[in-house]
Amino acid sequence: MKIVVAIKQVPDRDAPVRIAPGGKWIDETDLQWAMNEPDAYALEEALQLKEKNGGEVVALSAGPERTGQTIREALAKGADRAIQVVCDDLGTRDALGVAKLLAAAIKPENPDLVLTGLQSEDIGLGQTGVIAAELLGLPHATLILHVEKTDAGVTVKRELEEGWFQSIEMPLPAVLTMQSGGTKLRYATLMGIKRAKTKELKSVTAAELGADAAPVVVLEQIALPKKQKSTQILPGSPKEAAAALIEKLKTEARVL
Amino acid sequence: MSGILVILEERGGRIRSSSWEALAAALKLGPAQDITAVVIGAQTAALAAEAAAKGVGKVVRVEHPLLAPYTADGYCAALEQLLQNQGPTQVVFPHTYQVRDYAPALAARMGQSLIGDVVAIEDGAVFTRQLMQGRLNANYRHSGNGPCFVSTQAGAFRADAVDALAGASPATITTFTPNLDASQIRTEPGEPFREAAQTVDLGSAQRIVSVGRGIKEEQNLGLVKDLAAALGAELAASRPICDNGWLPMERQVGSSGQTVAPKLYLAVGISGAIQHLVGMKGSQCIVAINKDPDAPIFEVADYGIVGDLFEVVPALTETVKAAK
Amino acid sequence: MMASLPTLAEPRHFAIWESALFAALIVASVWAFWRPFGTILRKILASKSDADFHLFPIGRRIRDFVWEVMLQAKVIRERPLPGLAHAFVFWAFCAFALVTLNHCATAFGAAFLDPAEPVSRIYYYIAAVFAAACAIGIFGLFVRRFFARPKWLGELSWGSGLVALLIFLLMVTYLAAFFVQPDSLAARALWWAHTLTLLAFLPVIPHTKHLHLVLSPFTIFLSRGGFSRIPPLSGDEDFGLVAGKDLTRLASLQAYSCVECGRCTEHCPANNTGKLLNPKQIVLGLRGYLNEYSPASEEPLLGKYNAQEAAFQCTTCGACEFQCPVGIEHLPIIIGLRRGAVNTGAWEDDYGAKLFLALERGSNALGMSATERDKFVEKNTLPIFDGTQEYCLWLGCMGAYDPRGREIVLALVRVMRHLGASFGVLRKEKCTGDPVRRLGNDLVFQQLAEANLESMAQNKVKKIVSICPHCVRTIQEDWKEFGAPPAVEHHSEFLARFASQLQPVQDQKRIVFHDPCYLGRYRGVYDQPRQVAALAGDLVEAPRSRERSFCCGAGGGLSFLGEEKGDRVSHVRAAELAATGANVVAAACPFCNTMFQDAFAARGEGAPELMDIAQLVARGLPE
Repeated sequence: MKIVVAIKQVPDRDAPVRIAPGGKWIDETDLQWAMNEPDAYALEEALQLKEKNGGEVVALSAGPERTGQTIREALAKGADRAIQVVCDDLGTRDALGVAKLLAAAIKPENPDLVLTGLQSEDIGLGQTGVIAAELLGLPHATLILHVEKTDAGVTVKRELEEGWFQSIEMPLPAVLTMQSGGTKLRYATLMGIKRAKTKELKSVTAAELGADAAPVVVLEQIALPKKQKSTQILPGSPKEAAAALIEKLKTEARVL
Repeated sequence: MSGILVILEERGGRIRSSSWEALAAALKLGPAQDITAVVIGAQTAALAAEAAAKGVGKVVRVEHPLLAPYTADGYCAALEQLLQNQGPTQVVFPHTYQVRDYAPALAARMGQSLIGDVVAIEDGAVFTRQLMQGRLNANYRHSGNGPCFVSTQAGAFRADAVDALAGASPATITTFTPNLDASQIRTEPGEPFREAAQTVDLGSAQRIVSVGRGIKEEQNLGLVKDLAAALGAELAASRPICDNGWLPMERQVGSSGQTVAPKLYLAVGISGAIQHLVGMKGSQCIVAINKDPDAPIFEVADYGIVGDLFEVVPALTETVKAAK
Repeated sequence: MMASLPTLAEPRHFAIWESALFAALIVASVWAFWRPFGTILRKILASKSDADFHLFPIGRRIRDFVWEVMLQAKVIRERPLPGLAHAFVFWAFCAFALVTLNHCATAFGAAFLDPAEPVSRIYYYIAAVFAAACAIGIFGLFVRRFFARPKWLGELSWGSGLVALLIFLLMVTYLAAFFVQPDSLAARALWWAHTLTLLAFLPVIPHTKHLHLVLSPFTIFLSRGGFSRIPPLSGDEDFGLVAGKDLTRLASLQAYSCVECGRCTEHCPANNTGKLLNPKQIVLGLRGYLNEYSPASEEPLLGKYNAQEAAFQCTTCGACEFQCPVGIEHLPIIIGLRRGAVNTGAWEDDYGAKLFLALERGSNALGMSATERDKFVEKNTLPIFDGTQEYCLWLGCMGAYDPRGREIVLALVRVMRHLGASFGVLRKEKCTGDPVRRLGNDLVFQQLAEANLESMAQNKVKKIVSICPHCVRTIQEDWKEFGAPPAVEHHSEFLARFASQLQPVQDQKRIVFHDPCYLGRYRGVYDQPRQVAALAGDLVEAPRSRERSFCCGAGGGLSFLGEEKGDRVSHVRAAELAATGANVVAAACPFCNTMFQDAFAARGEGAPELMDIAQLVARGLPE
């Protein structure tokens, strides 16, 4: 089974969020970058499928030069080879524009399965995989926790809302977007990093792929939310405090 | 090209409240009479009636036997035909798991890109959504031709804006029958299921009530169990409670136990040692009840009650029960 | 006076056939010795060379050799009575060197000592005194091993009994020769008895733990030195101790040097609380491996002879390495085995993977968001280090995120402010890499060490003070592999320096100080924290203290690995500390602190109060 895993490099979760001049994106100086966590789960699932069924795992990532670091991480964790789509305009592309890039890179590979994370930790649109499937003309399923190879294709476990799940039978080739937490991630090893140096890393540009970038949706401005998280101590008698808490959990935190 | 389509979603034969919220969001884009509510499925009569009563402009039933159960292929094909037919300027969805599954593909099919998980809409069709896990707000605008696709975050818009429309005369209901062929549907979905409730699975619990040393005696655990039952929450504990054998080890949250990330984590009589904090810091909303105002648990809590848990916990249980 | 003493009787004339028989026996004995010993020597020499080995400076080596080998100081210090018995056996062997040489030479008419000549005679008497002491000593050791049988010595072995018998015979046959006539049949019989014992002894050596007779002087002389010194990996194919091919000469030499005394096991916190780990068996496992496979083998080291589970139960407290009388460095071996398992991904552990992933991506071992640290720094208005202050106050993961660790930091900050010491905290810190270093994850350790070294240089840090002995150790010793770290000290050293400027606390308590492994054995700091704690009350000592301190169970990354098997190390130690009757347990390490907090919580009411030494002295400060 040949599996392409689309991976995004995102700012580290602990990265300081400062708005860049122009107000359209964050200041990327001094940012630490990491592999998007749902994509890490997609990679893990791909590696496990390969370990069980044989085949090949190809890591794919689009972005500027720095993306190479994340691609090497994927190779170190066990991907067999990688494709880097070098482009500096990822931030100004909408979901459709990004998916066009990826689909153009995936198409000549003719994979049996395309896996990617459910959504990115930075923009969080959660659409790239679905749109890529549409562009490639492949069936897809989202929020997948587990993939099992069958004779006819795959059986996937999909997460529904409120603790429900569903099994879906699908033919191959197909595109799946993976939910975090369905399996356990492996850690990177020194051996993996050293072996990764000898693996193939193919680099293509957006222009070579011929994927246009004219967006239909534009990000106009970003801003820091006004409210910062702080602890609200609820005063009053136990009864009053209890009532106030339940009200806040319902209306403010919306967890009841 | 005119009008706003709102695609409603049902559960158990009723329109879901998040769909009314999407409708409320649509009211920020245009008057009620410009809004067409869309119900979709194999049997939509009751749903259509429910939607029509809300006083929107029109209701369309997109009905076909192949639309049950839900498949992305079926929904995309049916709704594509509807959109060709109606030519709306905007299409609004509730941002549900189902919408996330098909709406991006539908938009792409129309050469569009969905503005997903919107939390606010400002005049001039400026859509706000959150980036970087809620650490940033971003304003988006649709440019170019064709319909603008938007999905709205659950809870971001108030459904009572729709209730205010009620009383107007019910909308007219039309039926749209798409051309669907079984071969178009490539996936074969199974029945929804829940995980067999084998052992305690704190990891997937939505709500957790966790108890620590402040409970003092094993026989006092009943208080906390009552609260957990009232909230529909799993019961968990800090390490000393499990060490004492008052609760089984698999209910221990912390560095040597489980790591949890529920929507609601209610810590009762837990001071907040680091071993505990690392196991629950990812919770969406943390509530702490402790008699010591300096307890470190308050550092990570969203809400806190400083007080005697033997008074606060029963009061909470009562309040929750009364609200039901 | 000497004339009245008996003279050693030796046969003076040997028949040719006697000399020839003796010569043949020597050849046979040496051959029987060399055959197995040569194999062992070849295995040691065929092992990989130690990349970081330097013979110089040699002064340390000579000092260790004199102290540990010649004077037997370590053997005696750690187990005084059996140690002394052993020392006498050793010294007797040394004293016998010339006697034995002469004894053999006699058979070929080449004797150079004359029992009647005064200098030789004195020498013989000295040897006799040692022989007597040795005979008593070996008898004592025999009784201990075969009748008292402390469990650390392990199974009874025929070899030990045989060797004890041979040594005893050697001594007795020598002493008896003082009481017979020269050239008598008895003298000749004793000569032959002594000779045959000696020739029988030689071939026994390579088959038994008495190999240490030959090897351990070299092992001690050639040891890496320092404490728990983890060698750098060499080349692209070195991932730690994966298979035989990764064993270095020092590791192989040490494996064959083990004398199976069990001191390491006796003091091992893991072994004492019912875990699989037995440091002696780790070393003997390597020996078993080398005996079966070659040092070029690809067969995994963790398998038939050593269990992965055991390797990951080590708290790296270092009690084993500290006690070892024959120079075995257990920690580089145990950590080497972990490196082999982690660097190749062979170790699968949910908690371990979580820790590694947290440090691959984040800044701290606890997996907390770095903004939590920012909030703590901001809320307590800790000054930011800008290069102008004298001290960089290193918070560490525990100081930055653990509520108790934060209290320790804030107590130290109060004291520093009171003393007028200028300090600042870094705007950003990454974990020093201690837990990944000890767990053998070289990839993450290197990333952390390099990032931290860079930040130290950028911020022009000259002097670090930290509340965490693990941070101190890792910064000072382990970062060296990747650059030159700034000077670093533990807050106990800082506070002790200023002790005269600190007020004694009024409500004096009874305090027991727990020596953290990484402050005591690792750094040799024992007195300073006591000096600081003494400001707050009367010190009492736990039965196991200072060099013998018993671990809290947190080290070696184990505080991140979930529940332990058997008894909890922390509970055993907490009970010991509580039993001293002290009302305060003084800690000097945030990890010890958090372990004991849990342990005392489990004990319930009546547990002693737990405080860091910084908190103890901060109580004496004016509000």
